[in-house]
Amino acid sequence: MTPAGSLLAARDLRKAYGRTSALDGVDFSVHPGEVVAVMGPSGSGKSTLLHCLAGIVRPDSGTVHYDGHVLTAESDARRSALRRRDFGFVFQFGQLVPELTCLENVALPLRLNGAKRRAAEATAREWLGRLEVDDVHGKRPGEISGGQGQRVAVARALAVRPRVLFADEPTGALDSLNGERVMTLLTDAARDTRAAVVLVTHEPRVAAYADREVVVRDGTARELAGTA
Amino acid sequence: MTATDRRPRDRTDRPAPAPRTGLGARLGDLAMGVRFAVTGGREGWARTLLTALGVGLGVTLLLAAASVPHLLQSREDRGRARTPADAAQTVHRADNTLLTATADTVFRGDTVHGTLLHPDGARPPAPPGVRDVPGPGEMVVSPALRELLASPQGKLLRDRLDDRITGTIGDAGLVGPGELTYYAGSDTLTTEAGAHRVASFGARSEAEPLDPVLFVLLLVACVVLLTPVALFIATAVRFGGERRDRRLAALRLIGADARTTRWIAAGEALFGAVCGLVAGAGLFLLGRQFIGAVTVWEVNAFPADLTPVPALAALIAVAVPLAAVAVTLFALRGVTIEPLGVVRNAVTRRRRMWWRLPLPVAGLGILLLAGEFQQQDEAAPPFMIASGTVLVLLGIALLLPWAVEASAARLRGGPVPWQLATRRLQLSSGGAARAVSGITVAVAGAIALQMVFAAIQGDFMKITGQDGRRAQLNLSLPTADVSTTRQMISDFRKTEGVRAIIAGIEADAARPGPRRTGEPFVPRTQFTVGDCPSLREMARIGSCRDGDVFVVHDSTGMVDDAYIGQTARPGKQVIFNLDSRTDEPDGPPRLWTVPKTARTVDSRKDPAGETRFGIFATPAAVDTGLLAAPVARAMVRTDPRVPDAAEYVRNTAARIDPLMSVDTLQNLQRDKNYASVRTGLLIASAATMALIAASMLVSMVEQLRERRRLLSVLVAFGTRRATLGWSVLWQTALPVGLGLALAVAGGSGLGVALLRLVGKSDPDWSVLWPPVATGAGLVLLVTLVSLPPLWRMMRPDGLRTE
Repeated sequence: MTPAGSLLAARDLRKAYGRTSALDGVDFSVHPGEVVAVMGPSGSGKSTLLHCLAGIVRPDSGTVHYDGHVLTAESDARRSALRRRDFGFVFQFGQLVPELTCLENVALPLRLNGAKRRAAEATAREWLGRLEVDDVHGKRPGEISGGQGQRVAVARALAVRPRVLFADEPTGALDSLNGERVMTLLTDAARDTRAAVVLVTHEPRVAAYADREVVVRDGTARELAGTA
Repeated sequence: MTATDRRPRDRTDRPAPAPRTGLGARLGDLAMGVRFAVTGGREGWARTLLTALGVGLGVTLLLAAASVPHLLQSREDRGRARTPADAAQTVHRADNTLLTATADTVFRGDTVHGTLLHPDGARPPAPPGVRDVPGPGEMVVSPALRELLASPQGKLLRDRLDDRITGTIGDAGLVGPGELTYYAGSDTLTTEAGAHRVASFGARSEAEPLDPVLFVLLLVACVVLLTPVALFIATAVRFGGERRDRRLAALRLIGADARTTRWIAAGEALFGAVCGLVAGAGLFLLGRQFIGAVTVWEVNAFPADLTPVPALAALIAVAVPLAAVAVTLFALRGVTIEPLGVVRNAVTRRRRMWWRLPLPVAGLGILLLAGEFQQQDEAAPPFMIASGTVLVLLGIALLLPWAVEASAARLRGGPVPWQLATRRLQLSSGGAARAVSGITVAVAGAIALQMVFAAIQGDFMKITGQDGRRAQLNLSLPTADVSTTRQMISDFRKTEGVRAIIAGIEADAARPGPRRTGEPFVPRTQFTVGDCPSLREMARIGSCRDGDVFVVHDSTGMVDDAYIGQTARPGKQVIFNLDSRTDEPDGPPRLWTVPKTARTVDSRKDPAGETRFGIFATPAAVDTGLLAAPVARAMVRTDPRVPDAAEYVRNTAARIDPLMSVDTLQNLQRDKNYASVRTGLLIASAATMALIAASMLVSMVEQLRERRRLLSVLVAFGTRRATLGWSVLWQTALPVGLGLALAVAGGSGLGVALLRLVGKSDPDWSVLWPPVATGAGLVLLVTLVSLPPLWRMMRPDGLRTE
């Protein structure tokens, strides 16, 4: 059973790397347009939870439901297709293809979905504008600042109009000013498009942008009181 | 003043330590780099391991190449040591002499070297590697032959070599460990039957000098094969460079200047290269233990044969580490390692063609200046040829990065995999160009060599005139009376797998009576007896029945037809036993009349390429007992459905006479040296190609390792495996395509220059395709092999940052 109205829900997720247990019976859900922060100390299993929810990693046991699909039962090809079409991702660093320009980076997931180059680049340009980095469209990732790079990454994640946006420490490599700007743009854009956001962070300041907070510790998750 | 008072002044007055300069400082930096490589944790060791593996492979090949002179010399020495001494001179029978005769045979394409020995006394000389000369019915065999004879595969050969094995030939008596050799005792050997009397073994003959054209080929081949190895080593010391640069950036934070970091990087590379040197030496020593098990084109060697020439080994030991330092310093010229882990290209310098182009042009110029020389009449100028070839090939390697950069810059649009590949090349084409420079040089060299080979092969190949379709084996039947000969032919005819025997018993026939005025000698011609099918293979006889006789004119025009006409006269007699020295019959005249019905026909070349003429008679037409000193010739047509037909024939031959030779009829015969050079080249180019493939694979995996996180991110947002696979293919194929184009241009230029050098023109352009196809196939192979690591690196592990 998934919580009523949830877009993405996980039940009793368990995942171990060798003898180390990363997730030990985690339940989780997110509704359309909702921003949920997943918090916890380093090594608590936050990123593993995100990877399981997004279908990047298959859990050892438990299920992930997404929009009527049992994600954990789908083939790798089906999960890849779902990630291309319905999910967006923002990571802490190293996510932009260094040899492509910022415009091409943003257009990349659209093109992987089959969009023509011109159309994909037009959409990409629009999103670069929304994320206030349209001036770097012709530059390569190595030629722009970290903050700009992260906004380009957010633009890339949102350009496919995902139904769920997964952000893993999206401001981890930024100073506080840049971090706040990125978070504002990310959550505003997500809410505009009614995308659910799963935001992994260990910073309370970043988690404050979320509607709800879940804390992962020692492989288990619990809702933080008063955020629901 | 107290000590406390002095302390502040000490601190301020002490002059700041001068920055270390000079050789000592650089050596210190190198040592620090070595320490970093050792203590750099998993990543440092991974990099060192990759470099060591790459350099090790290259060093193994270099050491193998440096061992070739010793290998050839050792084989030559052992071959000469077992050759009977003074075989051409008369040796008188004594207690310490023996008769020896060659009894080589062939078994399923492999030569079995055989020697028959018959001691004259109690102290016969033993061949090298043989303790006691085998007695009649005994033989000593090489280990490989012993193994073959004991195996089920050797059953047919056992029927041929059925003497009792009494010993094994030691290494000193074998050219290589895989050689099939035996010495068999004989009590029937005589000098009349072709045996030689010798008092010792060990020929003093000098080795056949190498043709200057072949010398040029060998020289060019060495350059062509070793240049990619050198390029590979230069590439290997740069493995993992990007990661290392990021790590070294931390040193900038604590005050190291740019030069220091470069020398530290060189130190790391030096350590990797030294490890590679050790690994290469180890791999070489290990590999040579198994060299005996490898036989390529009938060539194999003992482990001890594979010993590098000391001077060359020393050169490798010094040059490889020095090259590692030089290459690293050179590679880091354009990179500024900045603090805070930022590594950027100091200035985005576009590669220029102006300084690269003169190299191949100069090389071609030197080759053209080297002039033209013909075979056997003058020595080739080795320095000019080697330096010219090196310059052309290095020039091609230097032009490649420029060509890749210039071409990649013009590429736009295309599907995602194409875009990922072209953009990658636009951002950094150096690595890709380096990875394929080896294959470019190898293909260019191969094209040039193939062009020369194609042009000169006519000079080193003899068209034998034999026709392997009409008969496959040629038998040298021993001299015997006609009935024995007929029995032999009958034995062969009954042998399994024999479809037909083309046989003729030959003798001389002369015109009876005295020499006439003006005749220098009595006219005589050949007299051949054979059945109709056999005669049909030697002359255009048309219809034929037993009892028919033919007068056969030589259709080649090589023989004076008048002598045939004056001897073979239908209705007139011929004499078989006319002594050519005295023009008198040797005993009572043996006369025979050429029937009036004898038809005159033209000769045709028999399957062995020989032309027979004179009088051809079928068996019922003549009493062969009249023939004086008849000799028999026979050729065998085998049944292609019996794969071992030739072996059955050889077994029959060995039963009749162990000295009877059974030769395969072949249309072409290659010069032995030419064949050796070509064989050597094939072996060496196979090794070079394998190294190049390994080089490309390691480069590709290394590049993928660098991009592990990015690959994981791409997979996270749903990129198909095929998309990344195609991008990898394009990323390899584009530089290789350009490299091959450059190789075709450069290789053809080099080929034409070399052809001019050996006095040839009119190149055969069809030789371009095989090396190009090999290069292209290699790319496909490398891409296929690099897919599993690509899939592995696309796993989500790369996303983990904690």
